[in-house]
Amino acid sequence: MAEPFTKSAAVEVPRDVANKSDKKRLLRAIRMALEIESPAVRRNTQEFNRGRYAATAAIPDYDALKDRARAIKDKSIAQLPELIQTLKTTLRARGGHVFVAATAEDACRYILDVCHWRAAKLVVKGKTITSEEIHLNRVLEADGIEVAESDLAEFILQVADEQPSHFVGPALHYSRERITALFKRKFKTDLPLDTGEALTRFAREKLRNKFLYADVGITGANLIAADTGTIMLVESEGNIRMSSFLPPVHIAISGVEKIIPTRREMAPFVELLPASATGQGLAVYTSFLSPPLTDPVFLLPGKPAKEREFHLVLIDNGRMKMREDPVLREALDCIRCGACLNSCANFQTVGGHAFGGEAYSGGIGGAWEAGTGKLENARFSELCTGCTRCVNQCPVRIDIPWLNANLGDRLNRTEGRAPLRAAAARLLGAANEDRSSAASKLFFGNYHYFAKWGARLTAIAHSFNNPDLARTVSLSDTEGRSKPMRIALERWVGLDRRRVLPAFPKSTLVKTVKKVAPAAGKGKAPKAVLFAEVFTNYGMVQRGVATVDLLRALGTDLVVSECAPEGRAALSQGLIATAKAHAKRAMAELDRYVTEGRDIVVIEPSSLAMFRRDMKQLLDNKDRFERFRSRAFDPVEYVNKVLEKTGRNPTDVFDISRSPVGTDLYFHAHCQQKTIGADAPTTNLLREIGFDVLTTEVECCGMAGSFGYKTDYYDLSMAVGADLFNQIIQQERSTGPRALIASGTSCTEQLHAGFDRPVMHPIELLAAILKR
Amino acid sequence: MPDLTAVFEQNAIDAAAGVWRIERTPLAVRSAIERACDGLKNIVMSDAEFLPPQILAGARGLAGVILKPDEEQLATAAVGVTEAFAGIASTGSICVSLGRPLVGVTSLLMPLHIVLLPSERIIGRPRDLFDPTCLNGDALKRNIVVITGPSATADMGPLVRGVHGPHRLLILLLE
Repeated sequence: MAEPFTKSAAVEVPRDVANKSDKKRLLRAIRMALEIESPAVRRNTQEFNRGRYAATAAIPDYDALKDRARAIKDKSIAQLPELIQTLKTTLRARGGHVFVAATAEDACRYILDVCHWRAAKLVVKGKTITSEEIHLNRVLEADGIEVAESDLAEFILQVADEQPSHFVGPALHYSRERITALFKRKFKTDLPLDTGEALTRFAREKLRNKFLYADVGITGANLIAADTGTIMLVESEGNIRMSSFLPPVHIAISGVEKIIPTRREMAPFVELLPASATGQGLAVYTSFLSPPLTDPVFLLPGKPAKEREFHLVLIDNGRMKMREDPVLREALDCIRCGACLNSCANFQTVGGHAFGGEAYSGGIGGAWEAGTGKLENARFSELCTGCTRCVNQCPVRIDIPWLNANLGDRLNRTEGRAPLRAAAARLLGAANEDRSSAASKLFFGNYHYFAKWGARLTAIAHSFNNPDLARTVSLSDTEGRSKPMRIALERWVGLDRRRVLPAFPKSTLVKTVKKVAPAAGKGKAPKAVLFAEVFTNYGMVQRGVATVDLLRALGTDLVVSECAPEGRAALSQGLIATAKAHAKRAMAELDRYVTEGRDIVVIEPSSLAMFRRDMKQLLDNKDRFERFRSRAFDPVEYVNKVLEKTGRNPTDVFDISRSPVGTDLYFHAHCQQKTIGADAPTTNLLREIGFDVLTTEVECCGMAGSFGYKTDYYDLSMAVGADLFNQIIQQERSTGPRALIASGTSCTEQLHAGFDRPVMHPIELLAAILKR
Repeated sequence: MPDLTAVFEQNAIDAAAGVWRIERTPLAVRSAIERACDGLKNIVMSDAEFLPPQILAGARGLAGVILKPDEEQLATAAVGVTEAFAGIASTGSICVSLGRPLVGVTSLLMPLHIVLLPSERIIGRPRDLFDPTCLNGDALKRNIVVITGPSATADMGPLVRGVHGPHRLLILLLE
C-alpha cells in the first residue's frame, strides 16, 4: 500500500522543523516523522545496521583497526594548523588552489567568485553534506546559477526542498512509493515510475547532460592527505566521479577536520568507512585523486575550450573552536559513516528530520550542529537516551553519549534560574551548577530522593496497617488511588501517567536483607558486596533478595551496601556536576568493601554500566575508575564466576524441572548491558542449564532508563518498542509462548506495557531453580 | 594461504560483476570481448599500461570498435575497455589507474565496462594498496579508482544496479 504523500493539515514539512532550537519544534518534528517517515527510515537504517554487523565481523582485526584510525584522527586534529599549511603547499605546488574559509559565508563567497571567474551557468554537485552546512545551493541559485544535485538522494531532496535526514543516505526517509508520488507531482509526468529501476532511469536521463555540460563540478571529500594532496571520495552511483572529472573546474568542499598527515594513513579508513557506513567491504567506487587531474577536459562540440582547474575549499566554520573545546573536540574525529545513526533505536524510528538539525543528524549530529552553529540547534540531541548502542559501532571510538550528556548539561544551564525550582533542586541535592535545569530533568536526575521518601511513606502507611494508604503512596494503584498523584507528577515533572513505576516496597532491599543474618562464608569463599542501587532498593526488591539468596546459597560471602545513587540518573539528564557528586559518593560507600577484597555485584544494568564505562568520564582519577571497573559484575555474570571458581557445573546446581515458567524463554537484554558485554553470560548459563533461549535483535526497547517514562517521548518510546513487541510476537507464533525474561527495570516496564504479562529477572529464575 | 584468485572471483561475482577466466593471448581477449559485446556497436578501448600493448591488438579489429573516438562518440558509446593494475581479493574489486588517455571515460561513461586483469596482480585487502612494497610500488598510483561491481543505488527504494556509471562490469581475468 502506498504511504501517504499529501500531508494532513496537522503535519509539518521537514524544512519547517529543521531548526529545533526550541523544544516545541522538536516535538512537532517527532510527530511528523512518526506519521510519515518512520516506515522507510526503519527499513533502511536497519538494513544498514545489519550490514554493518556482518561487514565489520569480516574485518579480521576490526578492534585494532579502530584503535589505529582513532590514533590517526587524534594526531591529525592535534597537528591541524600545520597540516593545513602542508596541504596548501602541496596542492599549490601542483597547480591547485586552496582556500580556507573561516565561515560558511566566506566559503560560499569564494565558490561564487570561482563560478563568476569561470562564467559558470551550470554547476553539478556530487553528494556533500558540508555544502548543506554552508547552505551553498541557496547562495548559488540566488545568483542565477543552476545547481544540479546528481546524487540520487540529494536529487530527491532538491526536488522536494528538504534537508538531508542522514549523512550517508540523505533521503532514506523516502519510500519508493513516496518518490514516485513526488516525481509525478513535481515533473508532471504520466510515466508510471513505479519501480526503483524506472525512477533511477528517469533521474539518470535528466542528469546525464548536466554532467556533460556543467561548467563546474562540486564534490565533498571523505579524507584528504596533506603530504600528497590526495582526496578520497567514496560513492556508489558514479556521480562523484563524473562531477570531479567531466567539468573543467572541480571544487572540493571539506571541513578542515578531514585532513590527515599522509596518504598511507588512509589505509585503516578505506576498510572501516564502507563497512561502518553501508555494510560493504568497499563501496562501488573509491577514488583517490591528487588533483588537478592531468586528463584533457572533456569537450563536447559547441562547448568552449577550457583549462582544468581545481579548488579545495577547506571550511572552518566553528571547527577550530571545537578543537579548543574539551568535549566537542572529540566530534572532529568523526568520519561521517552514520554507524551511530543506524545503531540507534530512536534514530531507526524517526530518522534525522526529528533526530537531527539542518545538516547533521543522529547521535553525533548534536555536537556538529552546536559546533558549526548555535548550542540551541543541538536540542534534538535530547533524543540520545544514552543507551550506548552506538559506542562500540563508531569506527573511531567517539563516546557519543558523553558528547550528548554534555550538550544536555550546557543546554540545562541556559534555562534561566527560577528561584522556586532552584530551591527544589537544592532540596533534591542537585549540584549548584545544575539548579537551573528543567523540573523534569531535576526529578529524573535525582530520582533516588523521590524514591527514598516514597519508600519511607509507604513503610509508614504499612506500619499504620492502612493498606489503602500504602497503595496510594506506593504509586502502585495508577488508575485508582494513586491517580491524582500521577496526574500531578505528569503535570509538574513530565512523568507519563500511562507508565507503571516499580511500586515503592513495604521494606527496601537494605532493610529486608539486614533482617537476615549473613551466611558465614568459608575461608576461601568468594567475597562480594551487592551494591544496593536505587532501582532495586526502592523498587525491584525481589530481584535483590533473589541475588542475595542465590549467591549465599552458592557459598559466597555476600554483604549488602547502603543505598546510594551512582550517577546514572543524573548523567542521563545532563546533570553532570550532580552525576560526578553521586559517583564519588557511591565510590566512597563501596571503597571499604573493595579494600576488604570484595567484588561488586550490581543488578541494574545501567548502574553496572556506570562502573564499567561511564564513570571514566566522571572521576578525575583514572586509577580509581579502574579499581571499581575491574571488580563490578552483573549478578548472573557473578554466578558464572562463582561456579567456575568452585569447579561446579551449572547442572550440578540448578534443576530446570523446578522452573516456574517452563523451559522456553525470551530474554531481552538491556541496551547498556549489551554494550559492556554483560548479557552473554545470562544467555549462555540459561542455555547450559537446558533452557531454550531466544534473544532480542533490537538495539534498545525504547525506554532507555527514564526516556520512555517522559510524557514528551511516550509515543516515540512506544513506537521504538513496537519493534521488540513484533519480534516477540513473530517468534512466539512459530515456536509457541515463552516466558519473558529481562534484566533492566525500564525494559521490564516496556515489556509489561507491550504484553501485560509477568516479566522475570534472570536471577529470580535462577534462584527459583536452585537445587536445595 | 587461500587461493587469492578464487577468493577474488567469488567476491567479484557477489558484488554483481561478471568474471571470465581467459588465456592471456590477443586472440582470447578478442573473442571474449566479442562475445561480451554480443553485437553492440561503439566500443572504445584505452591502452594497456602493465599488459603488453599487443594484448588488445586482436580486439581492436572487431567491428564496432571506434579507434579514435571524438567526445560525442564517447558520450554515447556502449562499451568501454580498460586495464586494471590490481584486483582486491577480499572485496572482488578492480583498481584502475587514471590519467592515461581515455581511461577516465572508458571506465565510467559506458553502460558496459570490460576490464582486463592479470591474475598475478591480485592483492589481499584494500589496505594493502597503501603498502609501499605492494605490487612493487605500483599500487600507489597518482590517481586511482577502486571499482567494486557496477554502479548502484538504494536511494530509489530497492537496490538498483546501473546508475550514472556502468550498468554492467565484466572482468576478464587473464591467467
